[in-house]
Amino acid sequence: MVRFPSDEWIGIFKEELNKNKIYEEVAKTWEGDFLFVVTPDDELKKEVVFYVDLWHGECREAYLVKGKRKAAFVFKGPYSNWKKVINKELDPIRGLIRGMFTVDGDSKIIIDQAKAAQELVNTVSKIPVDFEG
Amino acid sequence: MGKTIDCYFWNPNLGVEDGLEFTYEDVGSGIELKKPVFTVEVLDKIIEGIKQERKEYLLNIGIPTVLDAIGRANDLWMDPKYKGRKIAREVLPKVTGFSVEMVESWGFDHFLGIIKKENLPLFGKLKPDNFKEFTKLGDGLVKAYGEAKVSHSNYNPEVIGHICAGNILGIAAFEMVMDKLIDAATWIKVPSEEPVFGALYAKSIEEVDPRLAYTIAVLPFESGNNVVKEFLFSKSDIVRATGGEQARRGLSEVADKYKVPIAGHWHKFSFITIAREYLDERASEIAELVSLDVSAWDQQGCFSPQEIFAETGGSVSPIEFAQLLAEEMETTSRALPKGSNSGKMQVLDGYYQYFKKEMMGEPVKIFPSATHQWLVIYDGATTNFEPSPLFRVIRVKPVNDIMEIPKLVKPIGKFLQTVGVAIPKDRLIPFADAIGEAGATNIRTISSMTLQKAWEPWDGRFPLHELFEQDNIRWVSIDTIDIDKEIKTALERKRSIVDQRLQLDKLQEKEHSAMNLNH
Repeated sequence: MVRFPSDEWIGIFKEELNKNKIYEEVAKTWEGDFLFVVTPDDELKKEVVFYVDLWHGECREAYLVKGKRKAAFVFKGPYSNWKKVINKELDPIRGLIRGMFTVDGDSKIIIDQAKAAQELVNTVSKIPVDFEG
Repeated sequence: MGKTIDCYFWNPNLGVEDGLEFTYEDVGSGIELKKPVFTVEVLDKIIEGIKQERKEYLLNIGIPTVLDAIGRANDLWMDPKYKGRKIAREVLPKVTGFSVEMVESWGFDHFLGIIKKENLPLFGKLKPDNFKEFTKLGDGLVKAYGEAKVSHSNYNPEVIGHICAGNILGIAAFEMVMDKLIDAATWIKVPSEEPVFGALYAKSIEEVDPRLAYTIAVLPFESGNNVVKEFLFSKSDIVRATGGEQARRGLSEVADKYKVPIAGHWHKFSFITIAREYLDERASEIAELVSLDVSAWDQQGCFSPQEIFAETGGSVSPIEFAQLLAEEMETTSRALPKGSNSGKMQVLDGYYQYFKKEMMGEPVKIFPSATHQWLVIYDGATTNFEPSPLFRVIRVKPVNDIMEIPKLVKPIGKFLQTVGVAIPKDRLIPFADAIGEAGATNIRTISSMTLQKAWEPWDGRFPLHELFEQDNIRWVSIDTIDIDKEIKTALERKRSIVDQRLQLDKLQEKEHSAMNLNH
């Protein structure tokens, strides 16, 4: 079990994603890096930001951001909603459409890559996690 | 042998049809409309059916599958040879009174474009604080007015009800698509004036993805049928309704009784503003575009203009503009003629009312159509906002400065909706700020007043967002960031519609003459 959110978790996520052949196929046209921002709520005290560089079906870099970092897309939502995504209770694209997550960057580009987003979630959900709080 | 058109839709596997009685309405030309007489027992089965299909199918498929199905259903409708469209082409002019040209061209080719997959409003919830000034969204701008105060919130609506007004074709399709994007089962009361298109559109979804379609029920029932209405409200998480003042009162009462939030879109007024900068050598092009706004849906929509304010000081005066508009109304009316519901009495009423004023020496001039298909009135007697008799009757009123208009329309602020504009960039934002403050919600380039872009708010609320949250923010949009470019595109679109139609007319004339010669 790894703690979410943590440096260890994002490291495992990168490894697992790069093993995912379906992701490799469905995300082969994707070019763009993300900041995944986990905003505080009742269960999380401090904001956590992950940087994830996704390029043609590969995760080139993924780490916990300690300082400042920019990316093409910023996907942001409260910790409780991230938990739902990790537990496969919430599709992140559905979450985005409903306003449970927000995105800085062209949301249409992300929605066009909905199959890749699903595979990201499938990968995430395979990592056994221990939630903060 | 006549043709029977089903005005209802639900999962046929529910097997409820056998227990229902049906009525048959003859609409002429051997066409009859088949409508069920609902019982609460049957409705209960239908609602349970859409809920079940939502749970077992809709919630378990990915958004790409939903988007793909919507895209494919819409592609069907874009094909003039599609059987549903052929039925609609035959039946809708009879039931709505709109001409086949209006239904085909403005309805299918242009209005349905709103729900094309690539146009869907999938940007989630916007933060009002980021939109305190007009800020880019889609290919236009939006601004948030008011302070957020959430009065309703439910991010997982199970069943959404829709009560559609009959004045505009296609709302039912828009509602079905919106609900699927947020995983809700749908019931739709189609309007008595136009009970056909909703079921046809649902059937097109059934053709591409039956189980997705079975989360939808299209239910034609009379507005006065309180038993059905109350039952459906009691089963819904939210109801979106469009209609006039009577509908607002009646439906709000039912919503209160069952404590169901209602997202209402009620009676509205819309108008056009032309700045003096466009009343120059471009004035006839502006008149071309304005004629399309006045002709579209015979002014029956809440977004149809009822007045035109033309600013003085341009090289073309407001009265000269009225004359140019009359010339263009004639051309546009040939391309998009009126249907069987021509509203001739309303046009004649307008004619005699203003003819008298003109005769009495008032600063009024009428520009009538020889066949009373339309009427343009120059009215220099008053700048007060007055509702039009509709059916392509429009008044042009001079104003010294477009910034006087917000004050003029302020008294009817809560009824304002769309403002069609030809205002240069540097004056557009100050005007939009003020007219938004007065109550208007949608500022659109002339000729696009009846073509809502999918990202635009509707009566100040985003169509998807209002299905799960009501927060008191009033969003105001401008449909473009570059009005000159938008006008150029609009002109190309308008001319293609008119040219296409007039070419067809010429072809038909040639064929007719050839036939006469042969005889």
